[in-house]
Amino acid sequence: MSTELKKALYNISALADLGQEITSENAFHEKIQAVFYVITGTFLANKGAILSYDRSSKKLDTLTKKGFTSTDLEQLAPEELMPLSKNEPCLIKDAPFLAVVGAEVLVPLWVRDQFIGALLLGGKLTAGPYTPEDLELLKIIATQIAITLNHHSLFMDLSDKLEENQRLYEEMRRIYHGTLQAFAAAIDAKDAYTQNHSHRVAKYSAAIARELGWNDHDIEGIYVAGYLHDVGKLAISNDLLNKVAPFTPEERAEIRKHSTLSHNIAVKINFPWKNVEDMVWHHHERLDGQGYPDALVREGISDGVRIITLADSFDAMTSQRPYRKKMDVQTALAELRKCLDSQFDNKIMLVLCRVLDKEIKGELPEPEILPNLDKNSDLSIISSLLEGIIVELSATQSPA
Amino acid sequence: MKPVQFSVASKLVGDAAVIYPKGYLNNLSGESLVNECGIYIGRGITKIVVNFSETDLINSIGISLILQIMEDLRNIKGTICCTNMSKFLHDTFEMLGLIQHMIVFPSESDAIKYLKAGTP
Repeated sequence: MSTELKKALYNISALADLGQEITSENAFHEKIQAVFYVITGTFLANKGAILSYDRSSKKLDTLTKKGFTSTDLEQLAPEELMPLSKNEPCLIKDAPFLAVVGAEVLVPLWVRDQFIGALLLGGKLTAGPYTPEDLELLKIIATQIAITLNHHSLFMDLSDKLEENQRLYEEMRRIYHGTLQAFAAAIDAKDAYTQNHSHRVAKYSAAIARELGWNDHDIEGIYVAGYLHDVGKLAISNDLLNKVAPFTPEERAEIRKHSTLSHNIAVKINFPWKNVEDMVWHHHERLDGQGYPDALVREGISDGVRIITLADSFDAMTSQRPYRKKMDVQTALAELRKCLDSQFDNKIMLVLCRVLDKEIKGELPEPEILPNLDKNSDLSIISSLLEGIIVELSATQSPA
Repeated sequence: MKPVQFSVASKLVGDAAVIYPKGYLNNLSGESLVNECGIYIGRGITKIVVNFSETDLINSIGISLILQIMEDLRNIKGTICCTNMSKFLHDTFEMLGLIQHMIVFPSESDAIKYLKAGTP
């Protein structure tokens, strides 16, 4: 086999090596280093560099180099390379304005109309010149490197945009929750006796949903519904909300409008969570159909509504109200237990008890319910009560 | 066929380092060969014998790494001897013109003998 043929086979093999490295799963810098080895190994170049053009700083960044110093490479000005033919190897002796110590060939790297960078090579170990065949091969290699650099640049741009979008999304989410909190504060401010009620219902509901195994997105949804469940009270008069004496039938009917008003407000918001409007609208429904506003019965009441209903009642019972003192936790649990099946769902009650029991036993990293309860409560009594309810209600649940 | 993971072993024989690359010299793992030689050069060793008995194949990346070792030795006026080369390796080095910049011996002992004597 002639030397020329052997050299041609070696060059073809080098192109295959190049393709393999470009398409490898290696990290970008490893990929570029391997590609650089392919080039220096193909031409036996004693010096070389791959430079990438930074569009924001309008400078060439050195990705890898051999033999050249940083000062050598700083002599290359992008504006002097751009007028050269795209991806065409240029012999430095033919373009003295490109003079870089020890450089013999320069290839400006382009993809379509984008200047991507440059490839620079020094002399050969054999001291021979770069032949037309070498330059032809170098042009093919340069085109592939330009595409690789461009892909990386596009990928980095996309990564930056994704990061920025994630940052904006988090910012919007923060603003969204801030707005909801402001809404809740406005509701609670109207009624001195229900301070932070919306906030607590949101937390209790989220804690129950989490124990039920809901995903993070849906937990956030029920948290929001908890915040907004009483937003309709903004449209109810302060005198009525803070009335100490029992309501007349007309007043009760007026108060009961708040869940539909809450729905009418919530429905105007395009929530990213499903069923927030439903949870807000029906948080006074009962399993026996005696609730309002739609007198829904069992299957018509979603798990989300059942959770909010229980959380709302539990917090109402354990908070001071104008018409009664707050109940201790044991009394509230006993009251809820009395209303199981008629008003509240057994399964949701079981989960509430499990959450509270775990919080008392320190099994949950961030307790949501316990910190809001009476500080003087005897936790051992509550715990044994909860254990009893858990045993009893667990027996009523069909096996999973 | 599963490629053999490239590795390098070495030993000092008199004032010469003998390097044993093992496997296909075709990717970044071959940098360990340059690093191994660099360690000896850093210690003042100027004579390096590369025994290729367990490296039959090489590609452009491997050539670039061998080139790097040759340049590192040239910078300190050192000597590189290559031994136990397969026909493929020998033909490739010859076709590229690398052979003129190294001393090739059939066996490691021949290279050591030469380096001890100071003449071929």
